[in-house]
Amino acid sequence: MALTTPRTEPVTILQRERSLRPDLFLILPYLALAALGIVMVYTASAPRNELLDLDPAATVRRHVIFVVIGFAVFIASSLIGGRTLRSFSIPFYLASVIALGLVLTPLGRELKGAQRWIQIGPLQLQPSEFAKIAVILALAVLLANAGSNLQWHHIGRSVLLVGLPAILIFRQPDLGTMLVFFFVSVVMLFVGGTTLRQLSFIALAAVVIAVALFQVGAIKEYQIERVTSFLDGGGGDDADYNQLQSEIAIGSGGFFGKGLFGGTQTNLSFVPEQSTDFIFTAVGEQLGFVGGSIVLGLYAMIVWRLLIAAGNGRERFSQMVAIGVAALLVFHVFVNVGMTLRLIPVTGLPLPFLSAGGTFFIAMSLGLGLAHSVWMRRSPVRDE
Amino acid sequence: MTFGWRLGALAIAFAALFGVLTLRMWSIQITSASEYEEAAESNLIKFVDTPAPRGQIRDINGNLLADNRNVRRAVIEGALVTRDGEAQLVRNLSAFSGLPEAEVKALVDEARDRGDRIEVVGELTDDQVVFLSEHPEDFVGVRIVDTPVRVYVEGELAPDVIGYIGRPDADDLEKPGIKPTDVLGKAGVERQYDGVIRGESGRIKYRINARGEILEQLGEQLPSPGGTVFLTIDSDVQAILNSSLAQGLQLARELHREGGCVPSDDDPGCPVRAVGVVIDPNDGSLIGMSSVPGFDPNIFVEGVSDEEWQRLNQQAVFNNFAIQGVYAPASTFKSVAYIAALEETIFPQEARTDADPYVCDGLLEFRFRDGSPQLYRDWLESGHGEVDLHGGLQASCDLYFWEIALKVWNGRLTDYDESLLQEWARLFGFDKATGIDLPFERSGLIPDRDWFETAQRETPLLVRDTPWSGGDVMNIVIGQGSVLATPLQLANAYASMVNGGTVWQPRVVDRVETGDGAILENTPLAVSQVGLGDRTVALLRRDLQQVVNGGNGTARTAFANFGEKVEQIGGKTGTGEVIKGFIGEDGTVIQDVDNALFVGVAPINNPQYVIAVVIERGGSGGRVAAPTAARVLQFLLNGIEGVTDVFAGEEAD
Repeated sequence: MALTTPRTEPVTILQRERSLRPDLFLILPYLALAALGIVMVYTASAPRNELLDLDPAATVRRHVIFVVIGFAVFIASSLIGGRTLRSFSIPFYLASVIALGLVLTPLGRELKGAQRWIQIGPLQLQPSEFAKIAVILALAVLLANAGSNLQWHHIGRSVLLVGLPAILIFRQPDLGTMLVFFFVSVVMLFVGGTTLRQLSFIALAAVVIAVALFQVGAIKEYQIERVTSFLDGGGGDDADYNQLQSEIAIGSGGFFGKGLFGGTQTNLSFVPEQSTDFIFTAVGEQLGFVGGSIVLGLYAMIVWRLLIAAGNGRERFSQMVAIGVAALLVFHVFVNVGMTLRLIPVTGLPLPFLSAGGTFFIAMSLGLGLAHSVWMRRSPVRDE
Repeated sequence: MTFGWRLGALAIAFAALFGVLTLRMWSIQITSASEYEEAAESNLIKFVDTPAPRGQIRDINGNLLADNRNVRRAVIEGALVTRDGEAQLVRNLSAFSGLPEAEVKALVDEARDRGDRIEVVGELTDDQVVFLSEHPEDFVGVRIVDTPVRVYVEGELAPDVIGYIGRPDADDLEKPGIKPTDVLGKAGVERQYDGVIRGESGRIKYRINARGEILEQLGEQLPSPGGTVFLTIDSDVQAILNSSLAQGLQLARELHREGGCVPSDDDPGCPVRAVGVVIDPNDGSLIGMSSVPGFDPNIFVEGVSDEEWQRLNQQAVFNNFAIQGVYAPASTFKSVAYIAALEETIFPQEARTDADPYVCDGLLEFRFRDGSPQLYRDWLESGHGEVDLHGGLQASCDLYFWEIALKVWNGRLTDYDESLLQEWARLFGFDKATGIDLPFERSGLIPDRDWFETAQRETPLLVRDTPWSGGDVMNIVIGQGSVLATPLQLANAYASMVNGGTVWQPRVVDRVETGDGAILENTPLAVSQVGLGDRTVALLRRDLQQVVNGGNGTARTAFANFGEKVEQIGGKTGTGEVIKGFIGEDGTVIQDVDNALFVGVAPINNPQYVIAVVIERGGSGGRVAAPTAARVLQFLLNGIEGVTDVFAGEEAD
């Protein structure tokens, strides 16, 4: 961990607290991904907009606005101290749960069969994106309070804490986000010190709940179909068609890719939902294996820095926040890229920092900023 | 496990997930990249077939019989229908075509599933064409195509020969390169020569985008039209054949019942149809072929009402009875025994002289092996008086020919092959298909002991249980019993008898001119040469001439008003029993029901035409079939001015 320059003169803790040191190995990949995202969103959306007689730059212009807001949120959240954040965590969590509840009321907006949005002025917000961060913060509070010796009642409380927003999201319905909650909370509980027995219990409970939901018919038919169609090798439905086109796009990119605007799949609009969920196909087709590997490398670098931050966190709450954000990032990347590569079924999770989609970019920037702040306020003791 | 260990484990797990993604990326972008490149390429390129116009069909003189006209249709091009646009397309097309949405949707789905084109509007008006061309964005996947559509210029002239077209059936689809939307020949020359008539469809190569919109045309391979087929048929003869058969059928119906009749189960004696075929005995070329009632093959292009279809189907008009109808040749078959008798010197009386004539007295007693007598009665109860072989043929004396049959039968262990007469019949082409270049030809039947015993074994309920006997040969010699022949077989057999023994394979196509100008000749084919003495041929010609011209000739009255050149006509009548008349239990008299037959040859000394006419359930051959054939022969020998209406001859076998 010799990533910072060794200091020759002793410094006090007070001095440390004043001089906040940004982590360029986290910030630069973040900026690089955002910039690449803007280019990719443009190449994927411009020809499509032209077909629809729209301004070719319409989609990317909107995206850039969110990116700028996202940068501001990142900087702001990087500056929030651990103690402040901790005090805000529970109210933030409660606010998120209320917002999720509102989505289901007539205030919510429906799009493509799912009710996920709230309209605030000109902005459409997706509360579930912020709820991901809220759950991480709330769970971090719970685990920090519990200490390293987790009791069964802590597990129970964690399940309730994650379960409440998860059920609201499930009602939207948004299976993908629910899986995010599950993955992130399991990772946080694992690192937080759950025993193997406790983890197995959680896994068992999850299976029981899933089966129960299936039995009462709460899981929508299309969700089952996507999985079965995927397992069958495709029955020709829309989700499968999307994935096939996506796989063709990436596969045909080859080693170096076809170059910007040289991708027939991307630029002739064969891949659906391309500027959002399937943005990675634009990378794969136009920039090839090289481009795709670089993108994955940038994510890996950020995750690496988050784990380092967690390892150097000043106290347990901060550590858990960094772990949670890392898990959130990893799950999104794996599920999204895996979907475009036809490795796993379509779940509709966007790709962090690359996909067009305002709320998600802002929420991920918020999460990354909070985790970054953990690094900036890392423990001097561990470092030396 | 400490916090550090847990963090380390997590890092390893995360690294593994990234590793999986990288490996998968490697596998599709590097290991299998070429497959995906192809898939991406084929996403962009669509091929659309353009149908080739079917080749023309013309008669021997070049007169057009089947042609094409251009029709503009709206088709759904399966390859160009998009997923996103389908719902809108269905709505718009439904409004445009007036078809219900469900029906349009079924068509669109079918087109897309098959990646093929399906017609939605059969023939577009000019206004519709303009509307479609101005709103392409509302009809993505729909194209206007100029489609060549079959036209049978002469309608009902020669549907049996020309045939008709239709969509492929399940069997056709097994063949390579046949799509459900193709048009194939289903009958006649259209079917037999489908390979040369159909031509090859062209292909247009388009570059498209994901919405199926055509970006550019990358190339076009023009369709190559089918070749023009020239038939051996002469339209003028064919027309006269049609009208003569129609007149003959009408005459037979009026003779059956005053004012005519309609065939039905209640009236089994009502004449059903008239079939005729004219061939050239010098090379087997078909000059005319028809059965009445006929049909207009254009209905297979334009469609027809259900009732009309039912009516036509009930009359079985779509069969070509000249090669698919099998009839007992009856007395026309006597010429076979006549030739056999001359060539093999089989006479009822070895030393027949003028001083010791054979008397055809109308009744013949035949004894079975057990000694029980069986009486055979000539068609003319009074008999024909003194006859020899020649008089026997001219007057069609059954007794004389029965004597020939008995001679063969009785000498079967010493002098003759038991199936001698049947073998002679087979030499002239009976008992097997002639091999004419038309589909669905039947082979007829010449029964013998082998056939009979096989039938007894395999279908015991349908065959009597007594053994094959001389009585069976007696039935064969007069063309009855189980003897069956198509009108074409009959004509072709006579052609070989009068031309000196050459058996030709009949042909209906003279030549094909392919699209690139090459000419494929369908040269006449002599199947075999029957060794006939010149004297035999000369005598047969003379006696056939006497059937028409002699005092006792069975066709004499039918040709009484023939006009010039009647002396150049030879022929033979026949009356084949279909239902044996009887007196019912309640005393009602059920009349005999017979097929009327006539085979004619002209000019008899230098045969150019052989005609066979069968009027199904028409009654006496001399009365209706011979006069019908006479009208065609009038045209052939004396031209259109010589043609008179068909009138009834005298009732004669």
